[in-house]
Amino acid sequence: MPAESDLQGVYDEHAQALFAFLLNFTRSEEDARDLLQEIFIRLARQPGLLSGARDPRAFLIRLAHNGAIDLMRRRGTRQKYHEQLAEETPTIFATGENPDEAAFRESLSRALVELPPEQRAVVHLKLWENLTFDQIAEALDLSPNTAASRYRYGIDKLRERLRPLYEEIK
Amino acid sequence: MNAGDFEKQLKRQALRQIPSEWRAEILQKAEASTRNSKSAETQNPSWLSTLISHLSTILWPHPKAWAGLAAVWIVIGSLQFASSDHTNRLAARVERPSPESFAILRQQTRLLAELLGQSPPKDADRAKPNPSQPRSEQRTNTRIA
Repeated sequence: MPAESDLQGVYDEHAQALFAFLLNFTRSEEDARDLLQEIFIRLARQPGLLSGARDPRAFLIRLAHNGAIDLMRRRGTRQKYHEQLAEETPTIFATGENPDEAAFRESLSRALVELPPEQRAVVHLKLWENLTFDQIAEALDLSPNTAASRYRYGIDKLRERLRPLYEEIK
Repeated sequence: MNAGDFEKQLKRQALRQIPSEWRAEILQKAEASTRNSKSAETQNPSWLSTLISHLSTILWPHPKAWAGLAAVWIVIGSLQFASSDHTNRLAARVERPSPESFAILRQQTRLLAELLGQSPPKDADRAKPNPSQPRSEQRTNTRIA
């Protein structure tokens, strides 16, 4: 087991990013928490898990992504889960004080739910984790070209969906 | 709408913060699970748990394929069981012929042989000549008789 302080260090460094990714992917705070817990249990039980990783953040996101995919499979088809997500839609953004900004975040959160999970994952990692397409490809186990095209499709859909609101607040 | 500006606008949106109380809970559970697994390892694992552990390692990559194979074996086994049971029941239903029937059959065979002019079949229970006697003595006895 990594020393207690090591595990705490990993938590302090990566838990926020993992939480944001899992919340965006699963759209359930409860699921995000359970998956985060699973990751840390695994890290505690397998001391060398992170030491062999070239990019610890990408590796942890990969664990989180795989865990979320397993969870979705256990619950049934992705489509069914996607429909369920569209009904729940908890926001993934901090509450803004500016009403325009709050409205934009609310709309963005809903627009993200409408993206297929694979596109949503790439968009999230590119926009809010600042990962390169190579890092995203490594984290999600796909080619950099696929990551880039998924990002492009995702951004185009978001732009279409948010165009009126964006023009208004710009 | 400029693509770059739009992406910058999206990037500016601050994400929700992880609840601060999760830290202690998640780390405590992770450490507790390690302690539990360590104490479980120190106890002598039973041969059954070892076997299950090995089997699960082997079967895990393709659980559906192995389950399918097991189902096929179960079907084959049940068919085999059903057919052998049927044969046994049939055999049990047929009555064994009585000694009287055997005697009648033997008599009829002998009668048929006489009618056809053949020597009657040798009885299996007829006493054989003494094999310890030399063949030369056998011949002498026959001539005397």
